[in-house]
Amino acid sequence: MKQAILLLLILGLPSVLLAQSPEELFAKGNEAYQQGNLPQAIELYTSIVRNGYTNGDLYYNLGNAYYRSGNTAQAILNYERALRLMPEDDDLRHNLQIASLMVVDKIEATPKLFLWEWWDAARNSFSLDTATWLAYGCFVALITALAVVLIGRTGTLRLAGLWTAGVGFFLLILFLLVFLSRVSDIRRTDEAVVTTALATIKNSPDDKSSDAFVLHAGVKVQMTDRVETWIKIRIADGKVGWMEAGGLEMI
Amino acid sequence: MVNIFRRTGTFLFLAMAAMPSLAQDVGFQASVDRNPVGIGEEIKLSFILTNAGTGGGSNLKLPDLSKFRVLSGPNQSTSMQFINGSMSSSVTYSYVVQAKETGKLAIGSATIDVGGKTLRSAPLTLEVVKGAAQPKSQAASADPSGQIGENVFLRATVSKTHVIQGEQLNVTFKLYTRLSVMNYAVEKTPTMTGFWGEEVETPKDIQLTNETINGKQFRVGVIKRMALFPTQSGTLEISPMVVQTQVQVPAPRSADPFDAFFRDPFGRTTNYAAKSEPVKIVVDPLPSGAPPDFKGAVGEFAMGTTLDKKTTRSNEPVSLKVTVSGTGNVKLLEAPAIELPADFEQYSPKVSDNINRQGDRISGSKTFEYLLIPRYPGMKAVKPITFSYFDLGKREYVRLRSPEIELNVEQGNAQAPTVANGLSREDVRLLTQDIRFIKVRPTTFSRQGDYLYNSGVFVFLLFLPIAGFAGALVYTRSRRAALSDIAGYRNRRASRIARKRLKTAEKLLHETSSKAGGSVPAGVRFFSEVAGALWQYLGDKLAIPQAEFSVDGATKALSSKGVPPALVQALRAQLENCDMVRFAPTSIDRPAMQRSYDEARRIIVELERTLNI
Repeated sequence: MKQAILLLLILGLPSVLLAQSPEELFAKGNEAYQQGNLPQAIELYTSIVRNGYTNGDLYYNLGNAYYRSGNTAQAILNYERALRLMPEDDDLRHNLQIASLMVVDKIEATPKLFLWEWWDAARNSFSLDTATWLAYGCFVALITALAVVLIGRTGTLRLAGLWTAGVGFFLLILFLLVFLSRVSDIRRTDEAVVTTALATIKNSPDDKSSDAFVLHAGVKVQMTDRVETWIKIRIADGKVGWMEAGGLEMI
Repeated sequence: MVNIFRRTGTFLFLAMAAMPSLAQDVGFQASVDRNPVGIGEEIKLSFILTNAGTGGGSNLKLPDLSKFRVLSGPNQSTSMQFINGSMSSSVTYSYVVQAKETGKLAIGSATIDVGGKTLRSAPLTLEVVKGAAQPKSQAASADPSGQIGENVFLRATVSKTHVIQGEQLNVTFKLYTRLSVMNYAVEKTPTMTGFWGEEVETPKDIQLTNETINGKQFRVGVIKRMALFPTQSGTLEISPMVVQTQVQVPAPRSADPFDAFFRDPFGRTTNYAAKSEPVKIVVDPLPSGAPPDFKGAVGEFAMGTTLDKKTTRSNEPVSLKVTVSGTGNVKLLEAPAIELPADFEQYSPKVSDNINRQGDRISGSKTFEYLLIPRYPGMKAVKPITFSYFDLGKREYVRLRSPEIELNVEQGNAQAPTVANGLSREDVRLLTQDIRFIKVRPTTFSRQGDYLYNSGVFVFLLFLPIAGFAGALVYTRSRRAALSDIAGYRNRRASRIARKRLKTAEKLLHETSSKAGGSVPAGVRFFSEVAGALWQYLGDKLAIPQAEFSVDGATKALSSKGVPPALVQALRAQLENCDMVRFAPTSIDRPAMQRSYDEARRIIVELERTLNI
């Protein structure tokens, strides 16, 4: 009888973890974080991810937990994941900046055209869902205005409808672009963060190849090619090289 | 002494030259000591002049040897034989060469002048193959007789051949010589796989000492001294070192008086590569039971910690210095881990070392400077820092422990100046800030990959305005179709109203017609009913009480509402007619009643149409 209970307890434990709703797990993780029990907070947060749920706040909190436990690479990785879901969040940008200070390599990004900077700033102020709602709102306004143009009783009403339709159309195009760029951001699979303490980047996908440069944990890279276990990477300043896939984790 | 030799030699030579001995032909030929050879192997290339007398030839011209590396030469040797009274002599010019490439290498003709004649050797072909790489032995190379090797050699001496991993041993490369070494250059530095080596400073000028080996006195110069620290256990090897020397070789004291006689008594200068023997070192692994913080330090160490200030403000960095000093593998020391209170931030330490390479033991200190940033005020304590090493004297692990480091953190302002290297101004500003707190706001979670735009609800929402648009269009179209029939509708409505108003009049009209001839009172009632209906209609339409109504007032009001004058006139006529008939009942007959009824009806329908637009 005792054994049966024990067995039930052992078998039951993981399912208890599974059975909990992500909201409950999240609340427990937050509690553990506030009590300073970082390993438990990390475990609880990651269990939500394992169960297949995501949320910008979740990755943000997980990044905080990793940062507090001194794991800068994982912190940056999770902040970057959160950034895709809530690019507009001010706290997130702040923490990511602070965590990036801990990275050994100081990589100067190649400067962009100011127009692109504007566009980035504009699109980063909307999350995917916000952009979706805004585009939808513009769409509804456009349709309504078109209906007014077609069936309005008086000339002034129809003219107002025409103007509204024009503005609505312009905004719809704008938010559709923001929406599409956000969708492609969320779906992109070519960004990764270096997670090994020290990665030697080679000039060709071969152990015996000469060393190109060295990267430390926490650096964000773009993956451009793959040969067996070797991945061709490009870093923000445009340098290119090959590294072993084991030292990277995809964002 | 020397002079005597020389004089005697000259005399003897003259005596020899007088002898009738030039029976044999003079010959000149080239040969190699072996063929084929491996690339890199040393080959002895000899040009032998026979029967030209002991004086040999002059003006020896070598063939093109660009495909070879000439290691030493020319070495000249002379031999003489008397067989059955006839003398044969040979002079050999030999070179030690090394092939640079594989294949069949041609060695062209060498020429030499003998007694006014130029002799030419036959060309040779040497086959050089890959493989057999290393020269067999140094002694056999430039020193065919083993003469130099006995007198000049390089030795690697180690202070210990059996050490424990991480224990220092010294290796000294010494050049022993009994000849005069004019010059030397290190050709190949030894490789020491599995060791970390630290060069020990040696004097710039080689100071020679004397040493006796096997009863022979050598002069000894130290070429290189190194302190080695094995980083792995097992049997490790220190590979040979090769030093190219220029040695002055004295003329050998041959038993043959002629030989000694003709040689330069000061000797000749020869290049000789002195090579040390490889040395094997047995390295024992460190004993088990290492403390968890042991990171390979072996020797004897002391540790000190200093904090640059006892009191600081929050968000202001303090520097914690941990210095480990002593003898042993100082350079290999790793930063000890420090355990900070949770609200401290720690950056990777700045490491500097100071190593003393003089003397037999490597000593020095290594300093790890940690930059710490306390985030919150209060009394903070850094837990004791521990550092473990293996003590060679005691043969056991020793764990050093610093006292607990206390730091008083006061409330600081965020804009406090900071000192940090390699950080931009923006970074420095950020250094004073901590990460922001976690999000505890209520949130909803979505399945991975589920977003608003690909949810079913959104697709429905997307079709909603389209459907609404289509619905609105359809509705207005049908409404318009109905509106286009407005004239008929108004007619129908106006006649319905007129019939309703004239209902009583119509009833009276029918009664009159059914009773043939009709009665006067019914006719009077009919007309007053028609007039009343008209007045009531006008009163309702113009919103004026019936009592205040006159024919003039009514016509004026209708005209101002845009009713055509003909219709107003007809209404006026009808009203006057009704009044007139009431006062002259005799003229009432059925056709007059019918006419009046039709006219009143027509007027109401017309008015309804014009007033309701």
